[in-house]
Amino acid sequence: MGIRMIRRTTASRRMAVLAPMGALALAIVLNFLLYIVMGNDPAAVFYALLLEPFVSWSSFSEVLLKMTPLLLIAQGLAIGFRAKVINIGAEGQFILGAIFASAIPVWFPQATGGWIWPLMLLLGGVGGALWAALPAFWRVRLNASEILVTLMMSLIAGQLLAYLLVGPWKDPMGFNFPQTVMFQWDAMVPTLIPGTRVNVALILALLWTALAYVYMQKSFQGYQLVVGGLAPHATAYAGFSEGRAVWLSLLIGGFAAGLAGAAEVAGPMGQLQRGIASGYGYAAIIVAYLGGLHPVGILFSSLFMAALYIGGDNAMVSAGLPVAAVRVFQGSLLCCYLAAIVLVRYRLVRDGQEVTA
Amino acid sequence: MTKPLNRRRFLQTSAATGLAAGIAPSIAHAQDPLGIALVVPSPVGEVGWSHALAMGLEPIKAEYGDSVNITILENIPEGPDADRIMNKVVADGAKFLLAGSFGYQNGAMQIARRNPDVTVLHASGFMVAPNFSPFAAKYFQGTYLMGMAAAALSKTGKLGSVSAFAIPELITSINAFTLGAQSVNPDIEVSVVWVNSWFDPAQEQDAAKALLAQDCDVIFSNAQDTPSVVSVCEEAGAYVFNLNSSMKKNAPTKYLGCVETDWSPFFMESVKGHLDGTFEGRNAFLGVEDNVVKVVDWNPDIPAETKAKIDEVEAAIADGSFHPFTGRIVKQDETVGVEDGETLPDEAIVSMDWHVAGVTTPLPN
Repeated sequence: MGIRMIRRTTASRRMAVLAPMGALALAIVLNFLLYIVMGNDPAAVFYALLLEPFVSWSSFSEVLLKMTPLLLIAQGLAIGFRAKVINIGAEGQFILGAIFASAIPVWFPQATGGWIWPLMLLLGGVGGALWAALPAFWRVRLNASEILVTLMMSLIAGQLLAYLLVGPWKDPMGFNFPQTVMFQWDAMVPTLIPGTRVNVALILALLWTALAYVYMQKSFQGYQLVVGGLAPHATAYAGFSEGRAVWLSLLIGGFAAGLAGAAEVAGPMGQLQRGIASGYGYAAIIVAYLGGLHPVGILFSSLFMAALYIGGDNAMVSAGLPVAAVRVFQGSLLCCYLAAIVLVRYRLVRDGQEVTA
Repeated sequence: MTKPLNRRRFLQTSAATGLAAGIAPSIAHAQDPLGIALVVPSPVGEVGWSHALAMGLEPIKAEYGDSVNITILENIPEGPDADRIMNKVVADGAKFLLAGSFGYQNGAMQIARRNPDVTVLHASGFMVAPNFSPFAAKYFQGTYLMGMAAAALSKTGKLGSVSAFAIPELITSINAFTLGAQSVNPDIEVSVVWVNSWFDPAQEQDAAKALLAQDCDVIFSNAQDTPSVVSVCEEAGAYVFNLNSSMKKNAPTKYLGCVETDWSPFFMESVKGHLDGTFEGRNAFLGVEDNVVKVVDWNPDIPAETKAKIDEVEAAIADGSFHPFTGRIVKQDETVGVEDGETLPDEAIVSMDWHVAGVTTPLPN
């Protein structure tokens, strides 16, 4: 006797809201047992993990800071994912964005003026888009899988970053440590609220979200992309170009990731160093799918993931949880959530049982 | 392990200062435990850099018990995350912050400036403030001794090093290793592979194999936090040594020894200074004479006469009568690095950006 999964004809909206709650509850129960066994105080851990990120303005501002690159990248990636152009190289495009943006303060450390940081952000976006243009070209002209190429381009981006930091861009006064000079004041993205690190990039990420919503839900070109992803042959008959979808998807995704990289290096980082490659590009893939590839969903999923990161750090600092247990919580929560989502969209049927729609 | 020696030393000093300082610190103890936080870039694990830093806090735990509250934050990437976490731990009440990686420097310094009541120790940096001490180990003292042993055991006259980043700390280790080897065999050559990572098992293995293929028969695993190089050398039958904590169990027969770092004397002194209100930020460059650098797990294959000579040099380093960077030292480019009879000052050592003659690989630039 086996069990099969049947796709529900209509997914219940009520369940779609309840499922994440159920997943959270299940993850809490599972990890509650873990903390008992480990000898940690579960109440303190869960407070640090789930509530502390929201209780004070200073920690919530950190959630917003962490959310910014995730939101930017995930919105860009989701457009491609819906057109079935799978760009998993946002990490590399993010790094290139950071490199392009850093060129100004590295080459012109004395430059001043209010134009510097906007130009850096723009350059960052261009850098990310250029890095994504290579896989797009190879996919369209040579039919090379963009999944593989974008991933490998990320590895190359990491090497390029390492080369610049130990070579030509190394801070001459920095004792040979692999990092650039600290950026001058005008090369830093202005912060929004004094005393916190949230900066103008958050506004850009929210604007970008609104743009993504209009583009994907309201524009004809966005409609073409989505339909092209769902039914490539039909859209080809209708005269839509697959090559154009690949180009659009990768350039938009690359631009967003590059912009995020620029905002990170010119924001909380303040200099180009190896730590820039901290995995935002990969985490954003999870964010995009958690948000159901929908601009509004991604807004919430990026907030959720950012809070989970900050909460995880809090649990280490104030509840004494080891880093491995933090990862276990984050991982089990995602697993429970994905399982719940599957159950919202599908139902389980025993073999032999009559299937009724 | 050489723990007892240390333990004795700190018990002596702590007894003395404890009595001298009188009642004030004990009142402080009774009120609120001192929050001590260690932030490190890799998992603490069982070996390596972060492990050595965490072990340095053990005697403090033993000495102060409930009057200190130690938090270890591991695997914290350098950059915005580290800044946030260090700020958070200080906001939560920690008054003694150990920033365990060079890349934490700017964030840690900002914390020290904003919080004059917080004491910060920062690994491998160069910035100093009244409540901020950078600290580093004189690994070069230990690698000089290792060089002597390596030259005595090498049959090919070629030594190799798998090294992380071309920063002064690692460059000096390689240079002293070369000088120590040359003191036994003037014709010895040293090749270096820079892997540009502290923690990359696959790349470390490849680098070690490349050096072995070039006939290097003693390998120096320089600031690598995994036992990869050590294991590869054991398999290939080449002698190998590393820094920070012993990896003898990964190379039971070919382990040349370990240049160990025991940070506890320095941590203990600094915690005591913080509690007494006598802490003063300084550039702490710590070596054999401070009981911070020590060579352990010497391989029994080292010829007895070489070992005797090594012990002699070690004692001379400890009492200050010998310094590995004493001239005449010729640079790789054949210019003079240190004039005859002169000794390189600490400032020149911590910013060293040249190799000595005998290192065949040019510095990456």
